[in-house]
Amino acid sequence: MENVLLSVSDFVDLTNQTLEYAYPSVSIEGEVTEFKVSQGKWVYFNLKDESSVVGCFMSVWQLRVPIENGMKVVIQGAPKLTKWGRFSITVRAIRPSGEGAIKKSFDLLKATLEKEGLFAPERKRQLPRIPRSVAVVSSTEAAGYADFVKIVNDRWGGLAIQVAHVQVQGESAPDQMIRALHYLNEQETLPEVIILLRGGGSADDLAAFNDEKLVRAIAASRVPTMVAVGHEVDETLADYVADVRAATPSNAAQLLVPDRRDIIRSVRQQTVSLLPAMSQAIERASRTMNEQLQGALHTIERRMELASQTLGSQQQLLGQLNPETVLARGYALLRGKQNVGEMIEVETAKVIVKAEVKNVRKK
Amino acid sequence: MSGKNKTIQEKMNDLAGQVAWFDGDEFTLEAAIEKFKNAEALATEIETDLGALKNDITVLKQRFDTET
Repeated sequence: MENVLLSVSDFVDLTNQTLEYAYPSVSIEGEVTEFKVSQGKWVYFNLKDESSVVGCFMSVWQLRVPIENGMKVVIQGAPKLTKWGRFSITVRAIRPSGEGAIKKSFDLLKATLEKEGLFAPERKRQLPRIPRSVAVVSSTEAAGYADFVKIVNDRWGGLAIQVAHVQVQGESAPDQMIRALHYLNEQETLPEVIILLRGGGSADDLAAFNDEKLVRAIAASRVPTMVAVGHEVDETLADYVADVRAATPSNAAQLLVPDRRDIIRSVRQQTVSLLPAMSQAIERASRTMNEQLQGALHTIERRMELASQTLGSQQQLLGQLNPETVLARGYALLRGKQNVGEMIEVETAKVIVKAEVKNVRKK
Repeated sequence: MSGKNKTIQEKMNDLAGQVAWFDGDEFTLEAAIEKFKNAEALATEIETDLGALKNDITVLKQRFDTET
């Protein structure tokens, strides 16, 4: 190429071809300076270290996390010489680097999303008590996924579980999870719950769950969501926006389904609890019956007594009416026609006398 | 008793209803014996169902690593 005469444009093109061949993709870590967004579409900033500075360019839609001046970041992109002779990196992806920058970016995005009301408690939907159809977005190779499956299988059965296998860390993880969420939300028969899972890891490993587009996709899900990322102490923006936050994948399984052993115990307890009710009912019925019998006995006794009293007085009356009683008092009973010369019979208490009528006179 | 096509949740709701009957105004001793037998059988059925249920896990063939 030494004696080749090039136009300026050819030189720029040639340089870019060489750069593309030599550095198709570079990752650079540095501090952001002069960050600015132009026309709401383009992002410009410089990346610097102690001794050097390089210009960077990217589109707004590629900006997945909040970035500000002074933040330490890692960019992925390709070097390019512009037609204005300026050397810059065309950035494909940018992420905060180091604990401080990750925390700063997290706080900025959290504040923005919170202001929009995405974490509001009134947005939270309840999960069905016992779902029949659930979808899991996770890596099937992740330890967290294995924990979840083990505990779900141990606790409950009869679930139809669809698993969308995705990367749960790294640059492409947010987009994969977003695609899985869209896919599951567009099914003809929707699952009742979508669960995003991953086990523990460093702040960098979990960074995918702080991706703004992913967080918004979770918020927009038609299907209620549960997010279980990392350990109990880990918090991601996906946790905040989900309808239900599980501390760990194992905890997600516990929140998703009841333990069949608890149900069996409760079912047994329910039937056992009926026995006292039955006994009480029998006791009540028996008591009522005894009381009624006692009442009946009292009534019979009262009536017998009354009958006995009535009988006594009637016997007394009858006794008074008995002719023998009258005869005993000295009276006599006379039988026969009371005409002179007629024979009559006179009965006293002790004898019966035959007599002839000698005289009859009127009183 | 319970229908064979009912879900476990439906059967549990049925059982709760049968148990509640014992505290209701319609309680009679004659009916209680029959109801108790039904509740006991339903509880056994739920227990059997719970023990036998297995989850059906399907890993989707759909790929999410590239834009479709």
